Amino acid sequence: MAPGRKPKSAGPAPPSSTLVLDNGADTIKAGFITVDDDTSDNAPRVIPNCIARDRHNKTCVGAELEKCKDFGEITFRRPVEKGFIVNWEAQKEIWDRAFFDDKAPQRCDPSTTRLVLAEQPNSLPALQTHCDQIVFEEYGFSSYYRGIGPSFNAYQDIQAIFHTPRTPDTIIDVPAEVILLIDSGYSHTTVTPILQGRPLHTAIRRLDVGGKLLTNHLTRLLSVRHFDMRNETYIVNEMKEAACYVSLDFKGDLDKTWKGTRGERRKDYATGGGIAKDYVLPDSHTRFHGIVRDHEPGAAARARKSAVSTEDILTLRNERFSVPELLFNPTDIGLRQPGLADLVMQSLSVLPVGLWPGLLANIVVVGGNAKFVNFIQRLQVELLERVPDECVVRVARPEDPIVSTWLGAANFARHEHADRLAVTKQEYEEHGAAWVARKFALGLGVDTLR
Amino acid sequence: MNNFGVIEVASTATKTTPGWAYVPDTGPSLSATALQPKNRKRAARNTQPGLSLSDLTARQENKLRKDLEALNRDNQRDVNIPVPSSSRSSHKHTPTVRKILQSQKTFANHLDDYQALLALAESNPAAVVNNPLLFLNKPVVATPQAKSASPAPAREKGGSKRGQAAAKRAAVKAAAAAAAAKEEEEEEEEEGRKRARQLAAEGEDVEMIDSPAAPPDEVEKLVETYPADGTILPAYRKRPPAAHPGDDDPLLVSVVPSFPTDEELRSLMTAPPLSYMDSRAAFGEEGERYPIRVFCEMCGYWGRVKCMKCGVRVCGLDCLEGHREECVTRYGL
Repeated sequence: MAPGRKPKSAGPAPPSSTLVLDNGADTIKAGFITVDDDTSDNAPRVIPNCIARDRHNKTCVGAELEKCKDFGEITFRRPVEKGFIVNWEAQKEIWDRAFFDDKAPQRCDPSTTRLVLAEQPNSLPALQTHCDQIVFEEYGFSSYYRGIGPSFNAYQDIQAIFHTPRTPDTIIDVPAEVILLIDSGYSHTTVTPILQGRPLHTAIRRLDVGGKLLTNHLTRLLSVRHFDMRNETYIVNEMKEAACYVSLDFKGDLDKTWKGTRGERRKDYATGGGIAKDYVLPDSHTRFHGIVRDHEPGAAARARKSAVSTEDILTLRNERFSVPELLFNPTDIGLRQPGLADLVMQSLSVLPVGLWPGLLANIVVVGGNAKFVNFIQRLQVELLERVPDECVVRVARPEDPIVSTWLGAANFARHEHADRLAVTKQEYEEHGAAWVARKFALGLGVDTLR
Repeated sequence: MNNFGVIEVASTATKTTPGWAYVPDTGPSLSATALQPKNRKRAARNTQPGLSLSDLTARQENKLRKDLEALNRDNQRDVNIPVPSSSRSSHKHTPTVRKILQSQKTFANHLDDYQALLALAESNPAAVVNNPLLFLNKPVVATPQAKSASPAPAREKGGSKRGQAAAKRAAVKAAAAAAAAKEEEEEEEEEGRKRARQLAAEGEDVEMIDSPAAPPDEVEKLVETYPADGTILPAYRKRPPAAHPGDDDPLLVSVVPSFPTDEELRSLMTAPPLSYMDSRAAFGEEGERYPIRVFCEMCGYWGRVKCMKCGVRVCGLDCLEGHREECVTRYGL
């Protein structure tokens, strides 16, 4: 535990390993990077970032959630609000169990470790200062950098994500020259244009629609139409991840799932129209996760009628696509913000037109919401409607959009930029928290580009 | 009924009599719903003129706000999950750390604090001159240039909107200027093409004139859209793709906007971060908005019918009946 208070050894020895942490609102992505070893950690460990309590009042912290089986009526306490670490009491408990306890699975000694922490853009200064103070004063990391999560993504081989044809001798630019990064996570969705690994701060835009809002919206729809699911956030979230998709033809899909006027029996509705799916809810005895099935007309009614009903079936119709639709049309629930494509255009509108072609041709989408089927295609279609004809619009998502930021941050930790930006504990003790915050806010600068 | 032999002929004249009429209701008024009210005080003064009765009533507005708040919750109910006591040997925290750990502030509290600090800085700069928390985003608060680059946040709508429009205009102007310069350069060889373009615009069938062969220094010209001394984003130095016979087609000529200079890029890349509120996307000018779509509260289809009692939208009679049950329990018969 926090051996930071022992007297500092003479001379700042360069930390041998780096703890790379993408501290998301839903999950923490964490792993170690060792210097001079490109293969030290190729995938992060994903730890739920919450303290959960199930209906038997049993509490599990962070990774213990994986052992939990009964997710009915489970409630969560999350240390991260709106993407920023707010409640340090809870966050410290989760970090301690993951990294600093004697039996921690990813145990590390902070006094010989560098910490690279990803945060969301446009944070509040007070929260940033709290973070720096905890890192140095409580844990005593030997050196530390807190950077904007989206900009870490630039330290990956971006053109591989786009499958750009190229010759084998092409030099991979790290950081990538130009990307427009969309990070659609648990709390919100941000658009960040990045040049040479430096975010263009004036053009960062945020849409307050994230995975949590989508799940809550689905919960509300289901509670009106089927069962009361309001206490089953976890189950509804699983349902959303399994069954929801982004519609490429919203009007058409909506018509297919309409039951029709009174007395009318529409064929599409009866057969499901290729859209309706049956979701078998977990029963907490034999099944702990729901199952998606093709819609079978009458299955739900039969299950309800039979005396020894074994399954609860929910038929999902327009819920499947009207929920992710909120990312593109937030006004559907009365949220007065532009949709994702307009968000991109707003971000571009403050930049010189000369940068548009480059940014539009390199749009990368990361974050959990990028996993929705057709998300990429829909965004591309909507953007093509809005940009000048001559612009090429390429939208892509990495193989695993959730850990993409972590992978970028890991590459950053190996890059020499990390040495330039990181602050050592000694410097913190000498200059104070305000100096550290200012140094992080200034970023790389443009005087020496490489 | 016998009408004494008088037959009423349908007239085309309409009378404006008091009573009621069917009017198209296209949902809540855009002008009123343009901005999520951040400040519910003095709503009457802040709303734009021209509101009619069909605009969102205070009740609907409240409902909307509550709904959105509910959608942003982590749990349905308020839960208080204490951190489980650990067997870890508790060591002494430093005073700052202890203060942070014991703080029960939520994000909303922090945001309010920050806004208060900003307001104080605006009204009385001397009071907060040494506050380290403000220093971070000070350039955003202080420099008008950074402000004008930001989109319209509700508070300072006027100024920044103008700035945005100006930026847009400038960008368009720059692009136009670049195009003009380019055109001037190759005016002679363009003569034929121009004529073809004009004729095409007039809709006549023209005989296409062979465009002049591509000059050998075409490659250099492409590169010239970048500033010659650009170091931040160096120009594309590799070989361009192989020539295509359609390259010289006057109808396919595209205008490449000029690339920003190093100074522009430098100022963009070193600009300080915006504050949390300024980075939130909001609707800008009128034209950026689309009509609001309304959906059936019951089944999620288009909301084509309005409940006369409470104004909720439903898709048809079936859903209306379903809604009635709920409506009656809430508002009575």
